[in-house]
Amino acid sequence: MQPAGATAAELQRWSGGGQSAFSLPTIGGAAAVLEAARGHAVLVHFFATWCEPCREELPALNRLAARAGGSVTVLAIAVADADRSVQRFFVTTPVDFPILLDRDRAVAKAWNVATLPTTFVLDASLQPKFVVESDFAWDTIDPGKLSSALDAAGSTSIKDASNR
Amino acid sequence: MHRREFLKAGVALTFAAEWPTLAHADVNFDPTPGTWRNFQITTRLEIAKPAGVSQAWIPLPSVNQKDWIKSSDSQWTTNGKAVLARDLHYGAEMLHVAWAANEEAPVVEVASRIATQDRAVDLTKPGKPAIDLTSADRKFNTMGTELIPVDGIVKQTSDKITAGKTNEIEKVHAIYEWIVENTFRDAKVRGCGIGDIASMLKTGNLGGKCADLNALFVGLVRAAGIPARDVYGIRVAPSKFGYKSLGAGTEVITKAQHCRAEVFLNGYGWVATDPADVRKVVLEEPPTNLAIDDPKVAAARKTLFGAWEGNWLAYNFAHDVALPGSSGPKVAFLMYPQGETGNTRLDCLDADNFKYTIKSKELTAA
Repeated sequence: MQPAGATAAELQRWSGGGQSAFSLPTIGGAAAVLEAARGHAVLVHFFATWCEPCREELPALNRLAARAGGSVTVLAIAVADADRSVQRFFVTTPVDFPILLDRDRAVAKAWNVATLPTTFVLDASLQPKFVVESDFAWDTIDPGKLSSALDAAGSTSIKDASNR
Repeated sequence: MHRREFLKAGVALTFAAEWPTLAHADVNFDPTPGTWRNFQITTRLEIAKPAGVSQAWIPLPSVNQKDWIKSSDSQWTTNGKAVLARDLHYGAEMLHVAWAANEEAPVVEVASRIATQDRAVDLTKPGKPAIDLTSADRKFNTMGTELIPVDGIVKQTSDKITAGKTNEIEKVHAIYEWIVENTFRDAKVRGCGIGDIASMLKTGNLGGKCADLNALFVGLVRAAGIPARDVYGIRVAPSKFGYKSLGAGTEVITKAQHCRAEVFLNGYGWVATDPADVRKVVLEEPPTNLAIDDPKVAAARKTLFGAWEGNWLAYNFAHDVALPGSSGPKVAFLMYPQGETGNTRLDCLDADNFKYTIKSKELTAA
């Protein structure tokens, strides 16, 4: 995994192979499993409420999910945050996707996450295809083109999914 | 209600209101052992909106080192059930309080007494060869923890910093200087670490407070094979040397938590260090944002390698602490009171649900 640099964030092709499955509790109390998202493009998004860039990025992720209308699943994972901190944050910044609690960093470590925020873009078979180790301008992404880019990943850049 | 009697009697409570001013051209930062000071620390904690069974864990001073700190007993009052608990690995003591679901206003108040004095060691004088650690203690204090790994990028960084250094003091001093020189927040760095020192090094985001900077120092020293440990505590009085940034300005010390670091040097024993406080002087000492060669910074930088002032108490040395009775995750360190209600971990910024105040009073013989 490349370290986050000072340059503008771009989605990078992921070459690290498959990531481990997970099941985590959500702030609503139920468990969420990665496997349940199979069949759609999935954004696995690691964040913390104390991380300022993360706080600003979450509403853009929510807008992307809304535009996608079910074709893109967002799983947001709060890393080592106090439950109440996460609950309070989403009272004032509501989102429509599930918020998972990685209380002991176990999933973040298994996925080799060093930077918050970090987002993995998985295809419908749950294979990671792209990663961004920084906040990202999700408002520039066309959900339909994102799915196409994932289908063609290996030969297509994620930039093709951008509206820019 | 549980009570334990204080060991000492006949004391008057005062708080040192004097606040010496640090003259720019007259920096005399010279902690000198010899004068013990006694303090009473009182923590009051409330869970304002209980949602079922509630619990709290309050760190208690549990470090006893004959040359710089003595922790006495604590006493408490509560409408819950309170027991003293001790971390099995590090000996960190805490008051564990549990309240039934029908308790509408969970509250606990605990008072602890400690005595502390300045620390200083002259590392230019030869040490005493007999002062050494057991192999078990050496192993314990050089191994990695959840947030302080000592392999990978931490080891690589430590090796680079200590390259060419031939003895322990040179190596540790090189790491201390590296922390002072390199830790700051770089506005160009994007994102945050996930909370361990490896992620700080990977992201290049070397900003942080004591729990970040001194943890990085400890990890780099441990990675060099030299015993080191974080010491988690709280400032209890102003600095008598005039450093506004290195003391508690009022009797309310709720936000004055501070961790320091010790390294074990053969021949000298556990030695006081605090590179994070050098960076605090740079950032916060009036007029703030001081130059690295400012006399106040230079004095702190020189002094805090081998000495610190006894206006601070140590709670414990503990990492990765499991809170008894909780099914939640371990806490990285136990420096702040912790709470849960309805099996939900609270946090200290949650003013609507979790309130606590910590006060310090210096005790003087009547």
